[in-house]
Amino acid sequence: MREVILPGSLDELWRSFEGKPQAAVYAGGTDLLVGLYNGLLNPEALICLDRIEELQGVGEQGESIRIGSCTTHAQLLDDPLVKSHLPVLWQAIRGIGSPLVRNMGTIGGNICTASPAGDTLPPLYALRAEVELRSKEGVRRMAIEDFIAGPGATRLQRAEILTCVWVKKPGEYNLHHFEKVGLRNALACSVVSMAALLRLALNGVVEKAALAWGSAGPTIVTCPEAEKKLIGEPLSMALLQEAAALVRKAVSPISDVRADADYRRIVAGNLLLRLCKVLK
Amino acid sequence: MLEVGCPMPGFDARAKVTGEEKYAADQSREDTLWAGAKRAGIAHGIIRGIDTSAARALPGVFAILTRKDITGTNRQGIVHKDQPVLAGGKVRHCGDPVALVLAEDRDILKNALSLIRVDFEPLPGVFDPEKALEPEAPRVHETGNLLQKAVISTGNAMESFNECDIVVEDSFVASGQEHAFLETENGLAWREPDGKIVMIVSTQAPFRDRFEIAHALGLEVDAIRVIGPYLGGGFGGKDGSTVQCLLALAALHAGGRPVKMWWEREESFIAGYKRHPVKMRYRLGAMRDGTLHALQCSLFYDTGPYAHLGVEVMALGMEHAGGPYRIPNTFVEGWCVYTNNPISGAMRGFGVCQVAFGIERMMDLLASKLGMSRLDIRLKNALLRGDRNCSGVVLVHSTGIVPCLETLGRHSLWMESSKWKGAAGPFKRRGVGIAAVFNAMGYGRGIPDSAIAKVELTREGKIRVYSGVPDMGQGNASAFVQFAGEILCQNASRMELILPDTDRTHPSGSSSAGRTTYTYGNALILACKELKEKLLHRTALMLMLDEARGLTLLPGKVKHLPSGREVPLDLIGRTFPETDRIVVNQFVMPVAQDNVNTGKEFKIGFPHVLFSYAAHLAYVEVDELTGKIDVKGYLAVTEGGRIINPLGFEQQVHGAVAQGIGYGLMEEVLLDEGRILNPNFTNYIIPTSLDIPEIATVSVEMVESTGPFGMKGIGEVGTNGPLPAIAGAVEDAVGRRLNRSPLTAENILCAM
Amino acid sequence: MRISFYLNGKQTHVDVPPGRKFVDVLREDLGLTGTKECCGAGECGACTILVDGQARLSCLMAAAQLQGRRVTTIEGLAADGSLHPVQEAFIEYGAVQCGFCTPGVVLAAVHLLDRNPDPTREQIREGLSGNLCRCSGYVKIVDAVEAAATKMRGGTPQ
Repeated sequence: MREVILPGSLDELWRSFEGKPQAAVYAGGTDLLVGLYNGLLNPEALICLDRIEELQGVGEQGESIRIGSCTTHAQLLDDPLVKSHLPVLWQAIRGIGSPLVRNMGTIGGNICTASPAGDTLPPLYALRAEVELRSKEGVRRMAIEDFIAGPGATRLQRAEILTCVWVKKPGEYNLHHFEKVGLRNALACSVVSMAALLRLALNGVVEKAALAWGSAGPTIVTCPEAEKKLIGEPLSMALLQEAAALVRKAVSPISDVRADADYRRIVAGNLLLRLCKVLK
Repeated sequence: MLEVGCPMPGFDARAKVTGEEKYAADQSREDTLWAGAKRAGIAHGIIRGIDTSAARALPGVFAILTRKDITGTNRQGIVHKDQPVLAGGKVRHCGDPVALVLAEDRDILKNALSLIRVDFEPLPGVFDPEKALEPEAPRVHETGNLLQKAVISTGNAMESFNECDIVVEDSFVASGQEHAFLETENGLAWREPDGKIVMIVSTQAPFRDRFEIAHALGLEVDAIRVIGPYLGGGFGGKDGSTVQCLLALAALHAGGRPVKMWWEREESFIAGYKRHPVKMRYRLGAMRDGTLHALQCSLFYDTGPYAHLGVEVMALGMEHAGGPYRIPNTFVEGWCVYTNNPISGAMRGFGVCQVAFGIERMMDLLASKLGMSRLDIRLKNALLRGDRNCSGVVLVHSTGIVPCLETLGRHSLWMESSKWKGAAGPFKRRGVGIAAVFNAMGYGRGIPDSAIAKVELTREGKIRVYSGVPDMGQGNASAFVQFAGEILCQNASRMELILPDTDRTHPSGSSSAGRTTYTYGNALILACKELKEKLLHRTALMLMLDEARGLTLLPGKVKHLPSGREVPLDLIGRTFPETDRIVVNQFVMPVAQDNVNTGKEFKIGFPHVLFSYAAHLAYVEVDELTGKIDVKGYLAVTEGGRIINPLGFEQQVHGAVAQGIGYGLMEEVLLDEGRILNPNFTNYIIPTSLDIPEIATVSVEMVESTGPFGMKGIGEVGTNGPLPAIAGAVEDAVGRRLNRSPLTAENILCAM
Repeated sequence: MRISFYLNGKQTHVDVPPGRKFVDVLREDLGLTGTKECCGAGECGACTILVDGQARLSCLMAAAQLQGRRVTTIEGLAADGSLHPVQEAFIEYGAVQCGFCTPGVVLAAVHLLDRNPDPTREQIREGLSGNLCRCSGYVKIVDAVEAAATKMRGGTPQ
């Protein structure tokens, strides 16, 4: 019989790990339990994190926002700090799964599953988020792009969990945009997605840009060349087309049941053009 | 009160909304075993051996059965019995069952199934119907891959193309479709001490199921009882044995214990039936003024490895290939072909969905070449009562396609469409498209479309209707109660309904073909009228009246109007014996009387004479950057005779349109050499509430004089409209014709 | 393992493997078949229940997770015999066809109206976007939820 442990604190969690190094850790279960109940995984034990209060909630610390890893997507959508300071993340979370999935799934789960199609990831990359990892031995922090090693792979060690995500308030940007392309309007795995943060001067010149694409490569794709192309020029369709061409060179999408690589490549570039509309 | 013509909440709605209603999947009994099938996993191969030793050794495995445990023909099928219950010699698709396991619980069952080893000699497979007709193609069956070739022709099609001012040609590919009912295939069965098999199963055809089971397993038909509760969706996918033969086999070997089989979603994809993928080539000729003159088409139906209802699906498709139009010269050729793809069978829109795409797109093509409006060209050619249709049948019954199109033309959605299109936002292109569709009702010639209704006044004074045909959500059960209540003047609280049960209700055909409310309803009306006469006569006896005049049924009683005396129904119920309180009556749907002298290959299912009609309009927005299509608005104008229950009518139209939108935009069974790549709801996607727009529903009411209270069945016609209407709208928006379904963003972006 | 929770207002205990899928606990161990299962992947919403008032997928919860929680299934929605306004509206507005999605949709709607008592039709669609219905095309479901919302706010539906 498989054990299911629900520790009520981090101390209890470290004790739960003892002797069970192969235990599968989850909070919402919207990814893990699908695999488990369909016979694709068979861990010796399950550890559910959703009772550990210190892993939940959103707070401010100076110029940074701290998001507990076990905060559900639904909670994040309701959170005033996320809504006002991190609109690019908020827009992305709106499109995750369905209301039911959002009631259960967590940002920590989305990050640790590390699917190239994980919708929180492009915004977190564009926001230069950092993850905080904890184990019995101590704490470490790293940039999210270092934490995610490959499709479905992270640098999480055994008996270690993601405790929170740190995001510096992106006050220097005045355009926060996320778009997800799916095969239907809900319960859709992203076919390609883009997060964009821009600072536009009053005269329309791009002063700063942070861009990231999902479902366009083994991990989230950033394109510093495209960002450089935009910076210093007034935003226009022509400029965005040039940047889009660079993006199409930078992405390395695959073909799968949802879409062909070519489609993803073309659309990854096209999504940049949408910024023209957002300007109006 | 139950009054025909008034909106009425479903008789079954309360029990469903509280969770009380027990579907087959909800049934359970003490000491039940779970049964499951080991599926082939390869598309084509010879079985060299089956090793069940490891599985048998597992504690909790009760029995493992293979082909040799079947006495009987081991063949199931509705018309053509070509499908093995358990494959013995070879497998013809990935879902072919090779062994049946009975186990104490589902976990042990899954474990046991994974331990069974089948040794196959793989055979090359064939996965395209045209390739399957080539002489060197791998043979799915020894008799070859052509299940049926047929021709439906009228006039002098080949010569008459020379008489046309304009001829257009095009070809199309319509995809298959998964029913995706929420309640997957399942049943619970046990063997009574006297040997009778009792089965509670999610089925559209409980009476016919017995014949399939009996023929396959060598049992007597009357030794099998099938009970058909409300289905959690059917749409054609539960017409014909799904779990039934396997489950009966399990029950025979369960030592008297009940056995349950419930296909999980993946198995439902792999083993269940699907809409036929169809390849179509069309040639349409007309006069300068838009009058249609000649039609030629070639249709290839991929029926998978077993016939199921493939020939009948193709027959109906061919019958509808010319659309609801007058075309004096037609030549429609059809090939129904075996392949090693998943099994194609009945699905709502039954062969018509696919050809509606073909003919409606041809009409749009013709319209654009002639510079005519898409509405005008359809109106010009639309059938009227008294016309001969494309199969040579004279339409002697209600034919409302013209008023449907006229109503669409007057609707604000049509009139304001230019304004709407002009308001497209940045990176969006908008278009509108229309489709004129129709769908026959009933079985057609060659097989009686019959129902037997039974109605009873109970001892307690209630009216009990014994339904012979299952309700899969189309609301026929409610309609039956409404009919009986209308005739006998009783309200819902005095009505009882017995759901189909081969021991208690009477054979009434399958829940399919848009026929159930019409055929059973007509039988029920006859029975209720007879019961009414009987009740009035018996009341006259009880009141010592020398004639049964001035008597009337009222809620709960019979009243003698001249004297004011009343007799409560429960008193009548207690006064007369059961045999005197029951009426059984029957009805057979009228058939075409024409000798059409074509389509002779079809022994059953052709031609039809009763049709329902609809005109659809789709508002579509295409995103230039992603190719994504959103249906922003939809109008369905439907003619189905008189409306019995406006709520029920709208429910059917909405549901059909939604399935049609799914078919048009996002549903595709992706195959790789016969293997389904997306056998789950993650990657086979159906529309969510954010994918279906508001659907404006308008009815054109006519009287179908042969129909119960003047109605016709409209369950299917609505599924045929969305794909062509949306394709027309996409062309209107981006100037490109898409000839393959589904119309995906990828295909559109490529086309733009 | 013994798991204790509140089920439809009553303190309930079950003795089940802690990892047992909760929808199976409801349907098989507790005989409450109102909650349905149909996709095994969280993609259809038919298994929706309320946990501490929030709509969740019971096919993606291990039994142990429900320890101490307040669970409402469709069977527990009607308070002392009278239907919830959402249930009444579903009947009245023809939002029930085959009915297999109905328990899940009704509970998702109850949660939606709890959070947003005056939703627009688009917000209703969004709130129910995790519940698949293959029969209805959703139009009458939206009608019903809109009417229930009006009634619950004390108004008269159109």
